Amino acid sequence: MSTQAGSGEEEKKTVKQDWAMQTQSQKAYMQSQSQSQSQTPAAPAPAKTQALAPVQNPTIIPRRVPRSPTGRPMLSRVAESMYWMSRYMERAEHVARIVTVNFNMLMDLGELAPTMQEKQWQGVMQILRLENTAEGRAILSNSDRNIGARVAEFMSFNTANRNSLISCLTKARENARSIRESISAEMWETLNTLYWSLLADDAKQRMEESPQQVFQSVIMGSMLFQGVSDQTLPHGQGWQFIQLAKYLERVDMTCRIIDTKFDILRADEPTIETPLRNIQWMAVLRSCSSIEAYRRRHVGDLDPQRLAAFLILDKESPRSVRYCVREAQNAIAGIAAAVHPQEIDLTERILGRLNSQLEFSESREFSGAGLKYVLRQIQENTAEAASAVQRSYFLH
Amino acid sequence: MFKNYILNGVYDEMFQETGVPRPHYEQVFRQLQNLSNPAFQRRSRMADLTFRNQGITFTVYKDASGVERIFPFDLVPRIVTSDEWKTIDRGLEQRIIALNMFCHDVYHKQHILRENVIPPELIYSAKMFRREMIHVNVPNDVYIHVCGTDLVRDKDGNYLVLEDNGRTPSGVSYVIENRAVMKRVLPTLFDSYSVRSVEDYPFNLLQCLKDLVRHPVDDPTIVVLTPGIYNSAYFEHSFLARQMGVELVEGKDLIVENNKVYMRTTAGLRLVDVIYRRIDDDFLDPLCFRPGSILGIPGLMNAYRCGNVALANAVGTGVCDDKAVYPYVPEMIKFYLKQEPILNNVPTYICAKDQDRTYVLENLDKLVVKATNESGGYGMLMGHQASAGEREDFARKIIHDPRNFIAQPVIELSQHPSLVGDHFEGRRVDLRPYILYGKKVIVTPGGLTRVALQEGSLVVNSSQGGGSKDTWVLEEGR
Repeated sequence: MSTQAGSGEEEKKTVKQDWAMQTQSQKAYMQSQSQSQSQTPAAPAPAKTQALAPVQNPTIIPRRVPRSPTGRPMLSRVAESMYWMSRYMERAEHVARIVTVNFNMLMDLGELAPTMQEKQWQGVMQILRLENTAEGRAILSNSDRNIGARVAEFMSFNTANRNSLISCLTKARENARSIRESISAEMWETLNTLYWSLLADDAKQRMEESPQQVFQSVIMGSMLFQGVSDQTLPHGQGWQFIQLAKYLERVDMTCRIIDTKFDILRADEPTIETPLRNIQWMAVLRSCSSIEAYRRRHVGDLDPQRLAAFLILDKESPRSVRYCVREAQNAIAGIAAAVHPQEIDLTERILGRLNSQLEFSESREFSGAGLKYVLRQIQENTAEAASAVQRSYFLH
Repeated sequence: MFKNYILNGVYDEMFQETGVPRPHYEQVFRQLQNLSNPAFQRRSRMADLTFRNQGITFTVYKDASGVERIFPFDLVPRIVTSDEWKTIDRGLEQRIIALNMFCHDVYHKQHILRENVIPPELIYSAKMFRREMIHVNVPNDVYIHVCGTDLVRDKDGNYLVLEDNGRTPSGVSYVIENRAVMKRVLPTLFDSYSVRSVEDYPFNLLQCLKDLVRHPVDDPTIVVLTPGIYNSAYFEHSFLARQMGVELVEGKDLIVENNKVYMRTTAGLRLVDVIYRRIDDDFLDPLCFRPGSILGIPGLMNAYRCGNVALANAVGTGVCDDKAVYPYVPEMIKFYLKQEPILNNVPTYICAKDQDRTYVLENLDKLVVKATNESGGYGMLMGHQASAGEREDFARKIIHDPRNFIAQPVIELSQHPSLVGDHFEGRRVDLRPYILYGKKVIVTPGGLTRVALQEGSLVVNSSQGGGSKDTWVLEEGR
């Protein structure tokens, strides 16, 4: 009985408090207002006698993820967008380079070997895995204009082509747009400006005047984006995901270029004249942005086997497969150390193994059919690594 | 460029009479006159390009052509003197405190209804009254932490409150970005005034959000919740998260477990303490509100009601945004604070009241009719500009559902010179200052001045093709 009466008392008190409905700040506000308005010295504040709300015992809530010393945890979605932003940017750069190099080469060779036109552009489509799509076949079989102009347009402004510059940059930008708060303002502005330059009213006209100029602007835009990322974004988890994606994409693209071009060139090797042959092998190096580095390493000699060995095994060239695999491994190691230092990361294991394999390879292994086998192994491994990243970090 | 500038018989922000600028606009007037037309156009283009490259955009829904648009920016700044601002500042503070006391009251003891200051049926029939919030206690008893109140000026230059936006008002990012662009494009003009800074808004907002953490934690996790990149205000959500240095999350990034909210990170789940949500109540939690919504987080309301997570603004503040509740705000100020309102309301007829409805139906051609739960300039009738057919249509709607409508006399908004083609013309403006309320009230000096870019138009909403201006509140003694 008595407890009931007690609780009734309690309730009345809370009603009274509630009626006053004043948080401390509201009280302070009203006091300051009444003072400033009335100008009369306020009587000793009666408010103090009013009972304050009962103090709640602070509850300690267990936090499942402690803040790591290397920075705060990163949203899976943000990590995923970082990754794809970077991959699509890198892809756009490769597409631009492959197309522009091919253009350049055919300007020298086109009249000499008309059948080559067809074959080389087919090769471009093959590298980008477009030769078997409906749009790709239509572009190749259509004959109303010069094939080069058709492919150039298809690879730049065609939104139905998922590997065109505009598609890649749109996807890179969409990803960047959804994580603007996590990348630097400079990165966003670089990417956004590049994107709009392709959508500008005069873009198509510029393409007709000088396709190379347009492709070059994309290549330089991507380079600028990389530089800006390195110099403005803290080199934490987000940056590591950007690196990982960039190098995985580069490995994949480089393998595809070598694979396709070697097929085409080796088939022609016996019938082709030396000057023509050299120009074509140089184009392969240019497509991988490696011609100067190769020349310094192997003066004047364009031997296919050496060339393949250089593109795959060179220790110092930032375009070589081995270099990229090592950098990707470093990136994933950094991520894994920040996220789960106690465990062995699956992606790291895959890339680490691949790296060792490349480190202890020799160029002899790339002769004849050996090359295809090695390339397939590298591609399978990187694809496996990419899906492991997906599983361990993006899908929680 | 000011040749043939017409005052239109309304309050002009810049000129007291033709050719004579108000004292605080004299510098602007002089410097703009000295600027050649091409020079001004060049600066205007420079500003547009900056906005586009930085991606400072918003989305217009009815326009299929472009997802993203630049918010048109008008280079001529709007200037508010320190005396005018003092009144606005005090008036807004008084208003937000009264509104918060009202929210707390209607979701607890409901004294204001019991004493019939506001008719209870009006509140219970409000679409945005949330029964789920009855007897729920929110941190510091504050409901509206971020408020964007729309002010207009009548013919005599008095500031009137047009509406309080106590749900998720947007636009503050443009206040800050407009200022940055203004400094870049017209530095000399900016330098010749002493303007109060608006840059600390994100800092104040973060502080305000930190005030909501109930349990002492040294580094609370605060997030901004966005519907995603296709939302019209996405730029702002991302901007605020970036400026505050907190995570921007979408509904799918959060998960509720044991009535606690976690975010999914690369390293697993992490507890979330405060959510600055930019999603309407309706979409917050499919288990509690709209079952079909995929923007929200299932179970969020339960976590919220348990006090395990704080939301800003609180759930249920929409009841203050109901346009039929708005006319009672002066009564709230008198009832809770025992004060006279510093800023007045626009006179409003509530169609749910028989007497008011009769008047409204007889005078449709002189009134602006608004749906009580719409915002952004949707669902509105400008009686004096509408055709007879449109008026009849609205009359039918009002008779059918009187609770859903209010009417106001046409307020001749003040005008301000805006660049139109190669010269200046008067265009109608309003002002939306932003108010923060954590443990104390902070009114950001300035706000978003919106411009109706169509000649003679009185609708300034960005969703209806309005533009904006930088707003300069002058330091005291200047």
